[in-house]
Amino acid sequence: MPKDSPLKRERLSRTSWPSVIFLILVIFTAASDTLAHRVVLFAYVEGNMVFTESYFSDGKKCQNSRIEVFDNSGNKLLEGETDKNGEFSFKPPKKTDLRIVLTASMGHKDEYIIPAGDLPDGAEGKAWQSDAHGAGEKVFQAEKGGEKGAPTGQLTRLEMEQIRTVVDEALDEKLKPIMRLLVKRQNEGISFIGVMGGIGFIFGIMGIILYFRSRKGR
Amino acid sequence: MHISEGVLSAPVLVMGAAITAAGCGIGLKKLDYDRVPQVAILTSAFFVASLVHVPIGPSSVHLVLNGLMGLLLGWPAFPAILIALFLQALLFQFGGITTLGVNTFNMAFPAIICFYLFAYAVKQRNNLISMGAAFACGFFGILLGSFMVAISLVFTGDPFMGIAKVVVIAHLPVMIIEGLITLFSAGFLKKLKPELLEVVHAKR
Repeated sequence: MPKDSPLKRERLSRTSWPSVIFLILVIFTAASDTLAHRVVLFAYVEGNMVFTESYFSDGKKCQNSRIEVFDNSGNKLLEGETDKNGEFSFKPPKKTDLRIVLTASMGHKDEYIIPAGDLPDGAEGKAWQSDAHGAGEKVFQAEKGGEKGAPTGQLTRLEMEQIRTVVDEALDEKLKPIMRLLVKRQNEGISFIGVMGGIGFIFGIMGIILYFRSRKGR
Repeated sequence: MHISEGVLSAPVLVMGAAITAAGCGIGLKKLDYDRVPQVAILTSAFFVASLVHVPIGPSSVHLVLNGLMGLLLGWPAFPAILIALFLQALLFQFGGITTLGVNTFNMAFPAIICFYLFAYAVKQRNNLISMGAAFACGFFGILLGSFMVAISLVFTGDPFMGIAKVVVIAHLPVMIIEGLITLFSAGFLKKLKPELLEVVHAKR
């Protein structure tokens, strides 16, 4: 070893401390926040409208981004642009699985699927009403009819309809934050474990390469 | 700078994958195996850098570090960036598996260009030239990367100048920050470990 080696070592250890601290800081701040580069699209049904929200995964809203809505056979139903809060809403033209596609700037894209079952059998829903629903109503009417006669049955059915609407609305309202939280959870790509796991992977690959290298050299 | 799944058409994806495969082949061939730990450390840095969000500017952007990768690794930057992007796609859903080839090419090609343009100048004794080259290396890594992204997106039907403008403007702050990071890293290494700046491509 050269004479100056202790000196050199000391110099190295003293000067590399800031960079080590910097690296640790970077890793921890990066891991604790969801700072990232990815867009997230989230849609929900409220009343007879579909609302969409979109943001980059660091929380920045996607403004003026194109939204397209397709049915389950791939036909485009409608398209539009998000407003400055990254939101867009539309009235579903028919009851079908909706595939909502967001195209943000610089090649970012995400999609969200709303199954037909989530869409309301609302005002214009007469044509949508499934057979099962209709049959159920008929049974209900027949029961009521048998008991008290047709006019009362009609009235109860209307009341039932009203109650159902009110309950639906209240539930929508109450569940909205929970839904949002759930979706946010689901979309959170970055975790400390992920970061550490990735770095571990890279060093694992290094280990494998070096292992085979060292065997070859022998 | 990660292009998402389903944005690009199949020919672009296949072409990107083919070029990346070729680049990785060359990279692995030129990899000096004594330098594998260095490559691994820089791969980790690249992998983590994308999580460092730059809050300046109109869009959501992050560090890339491809200029630094090119400067310190040369051709092996190709397989290094491939691995880092693969893990990002897998663990964070950045980009995607199908767009891996295109994304790797978009980031690694500028790294190689920067290596050939600036690596020699960075090693010069004259501090001014060396520091200037290091800054330019980080800066051009991102600038070229932005152009590459714009070129890839041209095939989706948007006009080149429009996208290029958006991508370049969005990444202006990143270019400056990466220029500074590369400058400090190179200065630091030059003082303490100048041998790390001597990229030796294995001759085989």
